[in-house]
Amino acid sequence: MGATEVKPTRSELIEIKKKIKLSESGHKLLKMKRDGLILEFFEILNQAKDVRSELDAAYEEANTKIGIAKAVEGTISVKSTAFALSDEPDIELESNNIMGVVVPKIKSTSVSKPMNKRGYGILGTSSYIDEAAEAYEILVEKIILAAEIETTIKKLLDDIEKTKRRVNALEFKVIPELTESMTFIKLRLEEMERENTFRLKKIKDKAE
Amino acid sequence: MELAVVGNGEFVTGFRLAGIRKVHEANDNELESTVRSILEDPKVGILIMHENDLKKLPEILKLKLNESVEPTVVTLGGTGESSNLRDKIKQSVGVDLWK
Repeated sequence: MGATEVKPTRSELIEIKKKIKLSESGHKLLKMKRDGLILEFFEILNQAKDVRSELDAAYEEANTKIGIAKAVEGTISVKSTAFALSDEPDIELESNNIMGVVVPKIKSTSVSKPMNKRGYGILGTSSYIDEAAEAYEILVEKIILAAEIETTIKKLLDDIEKTKRRVNALEFKVIPELTESMTFIKLRLEEMERENTFRLKKIKDKAE
Repeated sequence: MELAVVGNGEFVTGFRLAGIRKVHEANDNELESTVRSILEDPKVGILIMHENDLKKLPEILKLKLNESVEPTVVTLGGTGESSNLRDKIKQSVGVDLWK
């Protein structure tokens, strides 16, 4: 809405003043929310960096271990052992609220298992396969942690972007336009008042 | 909820050893359809993929996977995930904080 498209009336002026007040308080609140979200984001960012490097290291390690197991035992033996596993890691998704942003909290059950609970025969397999299985269990634990933290970061970033857009729209579009309209109405009302005074003076002159 | 793994035979065997059941062996041609079917599975909470496999997917699907929260996609190998996040951080905050 352009500044000159409003009706230059007193009621419109009061309405616009109310809107400006509301926009300004909204702008202040959103700015505070944005700053809070950025603070939260900074805290999680360091965790995310650590988790990512740990995850990469765990993947390297697991890859090496399974490579050794395959070299010593043969690919088919490793695959057949893998098919024998019965217990599946289960995850539970809960939600957590960070300044209005719902982020997931992932709980996992039974990823790391003692050797005799894995489901394959201990005597039939070598320690290389056990080591590979252990390394992959550690990797899966790290993946679950990384999934939680990286999702939290993604959601926080989405919300930071959204809030930033709102703050900028209010600061650079809504409030300046409303202020412009208010100034226009004020000037127009003053002008109308002057016109009226002049008209009255003319009428008075004629009457005399 | 469960974890799911998609990739070639080499990549997925280890995850079977860790006890994950939803393991999908897929070659390059089947990759896209397998990933799409996993995205529609409400039981999957985390999808594990290799970075190189993710790069083979069409751009729209890649974008969908990066944005997806349920399931969350975790990529391994290379520095792909961090660079995805890095771009997102640059876009949202305006400064490259991933250093």
